[in-house]
Amino acid sequence: MHEFSVALEICRIAEAQAAPRPASAIVSVGVEIGEGTDLVVENLNFCLETLLASPPFERAALAVERVPGNDLRVAWLEVDDGR
Amino acid sequence: MAVRRIEVRERVMARNDEIAATVRDRLAAAGVASLNLMSSPGAGKTLLLERTLQALGRELAIAIATGDVQTENDAVRLARHTDRLVHAVVTNGACHLDALQVTSALDQLDLPATDLVILENVGNLVCPASWDLGEQQRVVLFTTTEGEDKPVKYPKAFQRADLVIMTKVDLLPYLPFDADVAERHVREVNPTVPILRTSATSGEGLDAWYDWLRARVAGARRLVPQPTGT
Repeated sequence: MHEFSVALEICRIAEAQAAPRPASAIVSVGVEIGEGTDLVVENLNFCLETLLASPPFERAALAVERVPGNDLRVAWLEVDDGR
Repeated sequence: MAVRRIEVRERVMARNDEIAATVRDRLAAAGVASLNLMSSPGAGKTLLLERTLQALGRELAIAIATGDVQTENDAVRLARHTDRLVHAVVTNGACHLDALQVTSALDQLDLPATDLVILENVGNLVCPASWDLGEQQRVVLFTTTEGEDKPVKYPKAFQRADLVIMTKVDLLPYLPFDADVAERHVREVNPTVPILRTSATSGEGLDAWYDWLRARVAGARRLVPQPTGT
């Protein structure tokens, strides 16, 4: 039920980690979802895909990996350095 | 274009947990007891707090932050019983309180003059259990008008509870609810948690709740680090 607030926090982390590049430079976001988190993954994916296609993001794709454990992490980002 | 990969490995709840740790430190340093009160909607959180303010309002300096998706109704109800701070957090759709909202509430309090902070969470047995607010104790209400198996259906809230309060026990003669079966379900997920049977209407069991609160307040005061006498 709180997937949207989790998705917003994932976007905040992605934007902060990409800095000083703009969020529009983010090409993809890798998220690890622990099997023990009580998140509805389909719902989280929907929220994230919507947010990552909206400003300040432009074209960030989502890559979700289910992992053992209870943690939810932003695992990695791919950014376009424009060269 | 040159795509570069950045390793992040950042836990999504890390920021909330850091803020919660700050809240916990502030409360502990000031010797203030704190509770996160959780239940499904309509289990009687606000009525229990109204009774608590009526009974203990002169004895203890109690501050309350209420979380609701919309309206400040609960805060308005509670403010009738106390001159102390009742802070309404309107979450505008969010299904739980978070630690940042608690920080804003604490900023408005005279903490050294406060004995007990009660965080009345949004009525919801699912999401609030995932957010650490920096509280010392978690209290979960469970009412006789719900199913006896709520604790096993929503285990996360009950697993980490420090106290479970069964509410509306004055209705037991009229309901098919078996209180002993309900307590067994609580024990399945949290074998040692104390369980109180209460009614805010008849007053049954409320003295035990007040004593539990007094003990938490005394405990928080004892743990305040004393300044070294130089």
